[in-house]
Amino acid sequence: MTLENFLRTGQLKPHESDAKEVRRLLDAARRNLRDSAATNISPENRFDAAYKAVMQSALVALMANGFIPDKKQPGHHAVAIQALPKAIGIAADRVAVLDVLRRKRNLSDYTGEDIDERSVDECRAEAKRLLDEVGAWLKKNHPELAG
Amino acid sequence: MTSGDLLELLFGAYRRKVLAFLLLRPEGSFHVREIARLTGVPVGSLHRELKSLADVGLLAREPVGNQVRYRANRAHQIYAELAGIFAKTAGLADVLRDALMPLVGRMELAFVFGSLAQGKQRTLSDVDVFMIGDVAFADVVKALSATQARLGREVNPVVMTRREVRAKLKAGDRFVARVAREPKIFLMGSEDDFRKLFKDRAA
Repeated sequence: MTLENFLRTGQLKPHESDAKEVRRLLDAARRNLRDSAATNISPENRFDAAYKAVMQSALVALMANGFIPDKKQPGHHAVAIQALPKAIGIAADRVAVLDVLRRKRNLSDYTGEDIDERSVDECRAEAKRLLDEVGAWLKKNHPELAG
Repeated sequence: MTSGDLLELLFGAYRRKVLAFLLLRPEGSFHVREIARLTGVPVGSLHRELKSLADVGLLAREPVGNQVRYRANRAHQIYAELAGIFAKTAGLADVLRDALMPLVGRMELAFVFGSLAQGKQRTLSDVDVFMIGDVAFADVVKALSATQARLGREVNPVVMTRREVRAKLKAGDRFVARVAREPKIFLMGSEDDFRKLFKDRAA
């Protein structure tokens, strides 16, 4: 699905971003990634922090393309993840992994399901990778936003 | 009522086994003795089941030389619905097992845990699958991706190496301890293999 198609279904809205907004989100993502390494909190909260870093990186990728998920629509996290291949060109199998992590976070939040530490490690690795990819993509395609 | 009970209510034991076997392997055709061996249905009863199911068109008979082979008839008007019933209930373990086949060399154990293994699942519960072996999380996600459409529900994979599981068990990790305690549906390996993880010192 192209980003314009997401726009047509109302899942994405047009959005004009600037360097300040991008920097604030990327700083938050880095902070969350760092917090996810903490050993004095539960695996669920470490996972949550790493997942936040994923979501914030995905948001930056969409914003730099001129879009933002409509938070009033159900499934806006899923949309932010599914739009990544079109936004910054990541592979479809990565989207599948990110989507599994999204569902783990849902299960943990809404049913109190435990999260194992291997899943925390996977989520942290994916968060770091996506943060790096978004950073590199910005530098190349939108240096004015990369700041 | 669990989904397993539901299927028992709807179909007799032999019919259930034959249908689960053939409907979930729509690409394959099998000789009677093969089906008997793989489902555990006695040959005499199996002949009767296969004949009844072929008479109504749910199965197709294919003479190959002097043998007759049977397969699911995908052209039957209720094939998709019937296959769906089995995929969502008794056949679930088979669907997952098939999907995990490409990982077989790298995986020691795989089982369903959580609400589904306890027979408490609601229709849309995720299927929790625990895998023990040296396999990348991304490879597992890839192997399982096609099953989600077949099962009509999402799969929540948990992947650990044998060393990680043993370390967690030893440290009394809450999650692994709970999984160890709770009922499991084994996809690869057995309860005995799982118990060995506690004992066997040479990891």
